[in-house]
Formats: sequence, C-alpha cells, structure tokens
Amino acid sequence: MSGALAWFLVALGLGVVVVRRRSLAVALVTGQALVLAVSAHSEPGAAAALAVRALVLGLLLLLVVSRTREPRPVRSGVAPLMRGGFAVILALAFTWLVPTLGLTSRNAERGVLALIAFGLVAVATRTATLFQVLGIVLVENGLALAALQLHNGSSAAIELGVAFDLTLIATVAVVFHERIFAEFGTGDAGALRSLRD
Amino acid sequence: MTSSELLALTAVALPALAAVGSAAARRRAVGALAAGGATLSAIAAGALAVATVGRPGTTAESAWLVVDPAAGILVAVIGAVGLASVLVSPSYLSTLTGGLVRASRIPRWYYSLLFAFWAILAAVPVIGNLGGAWLLVEATTAVSALLVGFSGKPRALEAAWKYLILTSLGLGVALLGVVLLAATAGGGLDALSWQALARVPAGGQTVLIAYLLLLAGLAAKIGWAPVHNWLPDAHSEAPAPVSALLSAALLPTVLLVAWRSSRALAPAIGTATVHSVLIGFGLLSLAVAVPFLWRPLPWKRLLAYSSLEHMGVIALGLGFGGPLALAGVVVHIAGHAAAKALGFYAAVPLLSHEPRAGGHAVGGVARTEPALAAAMGISLSALAGLPPSPLFFSEVLIVAGGFAAGRPWTAGASAVLLSLGFLGLAHALLDTLAGRSRHGSERRQSVGLRTVTILTTITVLSLLALTVAAFWLPGSELAHNLAMEPR
Repeated sequence: MSGALAWFLVALGLGVVVVRRRSLAVALVTGQALVLAVSAHSEPGAAAALAVRALVLGLLLLLVVSRTREPRPVRSGVAPLMRGGFAVILALAFTWLVPTLGLTSRNAERGVLALIAFGLVAVATRTATLFQVLGIVLVENGLALAALQLHNGSSAAIELGVAFDLTLIATVAVVFHERIFAEFGTGDAGALRSLRD
Repeated sequence: MTSSELLALTAVALPALAAVGSAAARRRAVGALAAGGATLSAIAAGALAVATVGRPGTTAESAWLVVDPAAGILVAVIGAVGLASVLVSPSYLSTLTGGLVRASRIPRWYYSLLFAFWAILAAVPVIGNLGGAWLLVEATTAVSALLVGFSGKPRALEAAWKYLILTSLGLGVALLGVVLLAATAGGGLDALSWQALARVPAGGQTVLIAYLLLLAGLAAKIGWAPVHNWLPDAHSEAPAPVSALLSAALLPTVLLVAWRSSRALAPAIGTATVHSVLIGFGLLSLAVAVPFLWRPLPWKRLLAYSSLEHMGVIALGLGFGGPLALAGVVVHIAGHAAAKALGFYAAVPLLSHEPRAGGHAVGGVARTEPALAAAMGISLSALAGLPPSPLFFSEVLIVAGGFAAGRPWTAGASAVLLSLGFLGLAHALLDTLAGRSRHGSERRQSVGLRTVTILTTITVLSLLALTVAAFWLPGSELAHNLAMEPR
C-alpha cells in the first residue's frame, strides 16, 4: 500500500473525530470504506464486500440523520481541536507501543493503528450517539485495512464476516438511537447517566 | 458425521428453528411453541453433554466443528438455563406494559430474539475456528442488546447502549488480534482453526501481541475488570430471564473461547505467559468486585457484581491450569449457572412484590414472602460459597490448584479475596432475608412465584448433585483430558 493512500485514509478518519455535522462524518466513513474497496481491486470478493457494506451503512446512517434532526447541536464536552489532539497523540502512542503487526506494508500498519485510535477517541469524546456508532465503524475500517494487507488471501472471508457483523451491529445501534431520540428528545449519550454505583 | 457431531448440530438447529417458529407463530400459540421448542432444545443439549462427558477421551474436531467435553458441558449449561428462562418468561411478560415493539408483537419478538440468542450461544462452544467464534460472539451482542433494552424504559435503553458500544469496541480490538493471527499463521481461514493455531510457530512477538489484543477484546465481553463497565448495567436492566442467560450462559461461553485460544496458542507464546495473563484478569476482577459485594445494592445489581467475581474465579482456575483447578472450573461454571439463574428468576416475583427493589436494596423479604426469600436465600448462599454449595468446593479446588501449580502467593491472595467476597455476600444475605426494609413497604402480590418455587427445588437438587461431582471430578479422566495440551 502506498504511503499517500494510507495517509489519505488516516486524514478521513481524523475528520470524523473533529467535524461537527453528523452527515459529513457519515460521508467521511463511507468515503473511507469506498477508497478501501477501490484499493482492494485485486481481490474482487473483498472489494465487493467492502463496497456493499459502505453503501448500505452510508444510506442507513444518512436516513437516520434525516429522521432524527437535533433541535440544537449536541455539544461534546471536548473541543474539536482537543479531540483531534487526543486522537493524534493516541495514534502516535499506539505506533510507538506496538512494534510490528506482520502486515505487508509498514504504512498500512500505522494506518490501521491510527484508525483504531481515532475510533476509540471518537467513542470516548463524542456524546452524540450517532458519532459513537461512527467510532465503531472507524475501528472496523481500520481492521478492514489490516485484513487487506494479509499475505495469504483470506481477506475476502474476513471482509465478508466483518461486513455482515458491522451491518448487524449498526442496525441494532440505529434502532436504539431512534428509541433514545424518541425518549429523550435528543441523540445525546450525555442524557444516559442514571446508572451509577 | 459422528453421532456426537450430529447432536451438536441439533442442539444449535433446534433453538434456531424455534426462533423462526416464534416469529411466524400466531400470537396465542407462541407461548406453547416456545415451551415445546425450549424443551426439545434442552434435551438435545443434555444428550450432547452425556455423549461427550461420558467419553472424555474422544474428541471430534475438524476445521469448523469441535465436539469435546468442554463444548458438551457449556451447551448443556446454555440448554438448562435457556429452558428455565423460557419457562419464567410468561411471568415476566405479564408484567411488561410496553417495549421496543408494539404491545401486540411483544411475545413473538421476545421469544424469537431469546431463541436466536440461545442458538448463537450454543454454536460458540462447538465452532472449531477462532474466526467463526469471533463472528458468533459479535452476533450475540447484536441480539442480546435488543433483549437488554427490550422493555424500552430509559434505564434499559442506557444499559443496552453501553453494552452495545463497549462490547462492540472490545470485539473490534479482539478482531485485530484475529487478523494478526491470520497473518502469522498463513493459509487462509482454516489457519484459524483451534488445531491449526496450536501449530503456530513459537517465539514470534506478533503472536504475543495478537493474543493480548484478543484476550483484552474478549475480556470486554466476558466482563473481566477493568473492562466490565457494561456488565452491572446490562444485567440489572435486562428482563430477568435474559439476565440469567447473560450471566449464567453468555459470560462462560465467551470465556470458553478465551480458554480455547489460550490453550491453542500456549505452545507459541509460552504456557507461563498465557497462565499469567489469565491469572491477572482473574485477580483484578476479584479485587474490583469484592468492595461492591459489601455495599447495599439492588438485588439484580448485586448479582451482576457477583458475576464479575465469579468470572474472576473461573479465570484464576484456567490460569492455574492442572487437573485440580480445571475440575474446580467445571463445577464452578455449572454451579454458578444454577445459583445465578435462580437469583435472576427470583427477581420477577421480587419486582412485582416490591417495585422499589429495582433501584434499591431490599430487606426483610423472609417476613413478607417466605417462598421468595427461600429462592433468594438459596441463590445467594450458594453464590457466596456457603457449604455445602458446590461453589465452596470448586473454589477450594481452584485455590488448591494454584498451590499445586507452584503459585502460592497468587493462590493465597485469591483465598483472601474470596473470603472477603464471602463475608460481603453473607452480610447481604442476612440483610435481604432478615434485615429491616430501608424504604417503607409498598408491597404487592408476587407474580410468577409458583414457577420460581418449582425452579428452587430443581436448583437445590442440581447444586447437591454438583457438590457430589466436586468430590469425584478431580481424579477423573475428564479433568485430566481438560488439562492436556492440544494435539
């Protein structure tokens, strides 16, 4: 994998951490998965699984955005610049801590670790429920990138499995997002704080 | 195909068919269909256990299917808890006023999801491939999250959301481990079979990283500390029959995946490293759980923290290894399932009898509802490890296994933490049964008490049988086979 492609995927991922609009973030993760699908052209099975998953999830999430319009923006407790900073620091820490993953390209390895770090930061710092789902999609995109860099041609099976499971999880998450929106009048996970010990 | 392989597939197919049948059945017929489907599924699961445990030296293993005593025991536990959960469900559903779906569709959706959860769970112990196991474990998250939030109440939605997000993230981390193992092992998905993983070349740093990522990810699903945050919420807010399945069946089933992975990768990573990781999770889980067992908590939340403690105990047993500790693990999984499931079933009449029990610790139940108090008392005393509870003997076996494995300090620390946990639960037991009610007494008629009373009797007999088994198991061929390295 070329360094430019890996950095482009990472840049799209960082965008999800910092952007404010949900629809833009959905477009970013969908674009990321489509770029991965195009880069997997030598493995038609994996490319098809990635492309179908990207489009199905993108449409589903955009539909949810249009059905659950927020009366006012859901503000994260952490400013965009800070979120971006945390994400980059965590990505650098992962790259420093994890020696080698055994993938075909070191650029891809760094990209995988960065996308996982961005996904974790998105879930931890964004309180909008839809952004938390996008954090999981970001992690899975990182794993899709890792699977594409395997030497032994098992990518298609892994991509298919991940696509199926991610679609299932995202569908259930969407059910809960809509229900939370109906119950609390907002898709803000900050409202979900009654269970404490 | 051998008879035990056929039984394994039947034990998975029957609840899957019941899930489809429940979704398609007419509203009035769904309860009877569910009871029939659950009975047949449990019989198939029991038959598999008899077939595998009766011949512990015989293992049918291929790239995608493994039928061994460990699978048989877990499938039987899932079957027994599944059947009891289906039998308790009508009482729970009678108290449900609304939910995620329209009222007219509640029974069909509920049973369909419950059986789907059961079927996927039953497939996990018999799958012979780590990649397949990951896929199934992730699928349990999707189905069980819908069940956790089924009541549609705000607290249930919160618990389901936390459960979905945290365990999905955890399993994402585990998937990175799986992908790295696929990269190291080579040869496509077949390289992820338990047999093939045991042949992964030794010494590679990547294998160790992959294993640590896998275990850290699975820990989020097992509910091991420090990634257990979803567990108390999901267990306390889910419908009681679902809480029983989550605690008594789901957690040990995912633990089996962790054990199979550890066992298969031990030759590559080093047995001592693998054991130390498991012991670390075990000790930490115990240490985190114990302080909560001393606090006055709502009934289901107390049981949830007890799950954290018991998953820690099982991790310790697996970490110590050896026939003694593994015999303890077998008894512990079965005993914990019986006692914990009864505790959650008792929550159905408890919450109808004393509605405030959902958010507060209860007291003095023995004075107002003696039959309910008996169920709660038996569950809690067994979970605390009060002799003759099989959990007392299993904990003794596990600690003794620690000494036998040459880890006296860890075994000693475990014994101290277990004693503290016992005292905390004993205190809760006395308070719940004979203490003073903390929040006045708005008490109503108990719903489903008759079913729970029958289940109490069955549980007592099962626990006594397990206590007897705890004496026989340590020297048995079954324990020795569990302790053997994979071939």
